[in-house]
Amino acid sequence: MVAAAFSSLITMETEEAQIATGLRRRDPDVLDALIEQYEHRLLRYLAHMTGNRATAEDLFQETWIRVLEKGHQYDGKSRFSTWLMTIAHNVAIDHLRKRNPASLDEMRDAEDAAPFEPVATGLSPFEHAAAAEDKARIQAAFDELPAIFREVLVLRFQEQMKLEEIAKLVGIPLATVKTRLYRGVMALRPTLGGGAL
Amino acid sequence: MNGKEHGRAIDLITRHDIEGIADADARWLEIHLQECEECASFDRALSGAAHAIRSVTVMASASLIESTRARVHLRAQQLREQQARAMLIAVSFCLGVVTSTLTAWVWWKFGGWVAQSLGLPSGIVEPGVLLFWLLPAIVIAVLMVTYPPALFEGSLMQRYMKDRLRGMQ
Repeated sequence: MVAAAFSSLITMETEEAQIATGLRRRDPDVLDALIEQYEHRLLRYLAHMTGNRATAEDLFQETWIRVLEKGHQYDGKSRFSTWLMTIAHNVAIDHLRKRNPASLDEMRDAEDAAPFEPVATGLSPFEHAAAAEDKARIQAAFDELPAIFREVLVLRFQEQMKLEEIAKLVGIPLATVKTRLYRGVMALRPTLGGGAL
Repeated sequence: MNGKEHGRAIDLITRHDIEGIADADARWLEIHLQECEECASFDRALSGAAHAIRSVTVMASASLIESTRARVHLRAQQLREQQARAMLIAVSFCLGVVTSTLTAWVWWKFGGWVAQSLGLPSGIVEPGVLLFWLLPAIVIAVLMVTYPPALFEGSLMQRYMKDRLRGMQ
């Protein structure tokens, strides 16, 4: 079992190192393979970040152009997926800042000012929503959330990333990741439950 | 029950799905959730949110992948050309510096001979010598600036860079 884990670690290191070498050379075959491998994950992340499919597709292309241009900076020591998501995060943040320069800072201020404490009690409206499989409604509720909360929720639940990885990727303290996760989850409840809390 | 216990419970609820928690923590959390409706509510909301978000599917279309690949290939080609052009400029600059340095003495003697033969004042000869001395570098700089990138395609340096890149692969 230990041998298998070690072998898998070696394989991963080799794979990441190969990607790093390919990116340094701007090898088109490596880039083609990476685009195919991460197509759905990357688009999903950007779609959740922007809340708009067309914008997400533009940013998807922009992300891969940036991967090509900054490929020499990837050293192959960390996971490629984390590095890719960091690039995508920066592309999305640049886009959101251009679209509405004040919005991100305003959200940060509000977030920092509020204490991290459990809030209202009651039955989760999510239980009803999930049971009814009302995907459109869930999507709409999710899109209502500010981008900084959506991002943490997507990285956590869809990308299955650890809290520390999210903190590194987004460039925020671990405590802020927890706060955003908590607030994101709690903010979804009233929206889905028709305001009942 | 105090705020510290709620904080610990929230932290464990948040972590248990992906990072995992110790058995002792899991037992403590189970007891806490039975007693604390606030934390139990958060636990349910978190599970619901995770389920809801995971149920949303976003698929990239084949046309998006194809157009992305085309854009990336085009940009890669542009970067390769820029790299080759930068190399050409660097080589030309070095040649210019070397040529100017090596010919400085020759130009100075030639200027002196011209001034002596024609009886010209040094106020004209010295700037003239300087101009001729810098001429190779000036010609190279003008050529580099005016040389259209389109003409660069297929040049010796371009072919050299392509072969080099192919060799690296």
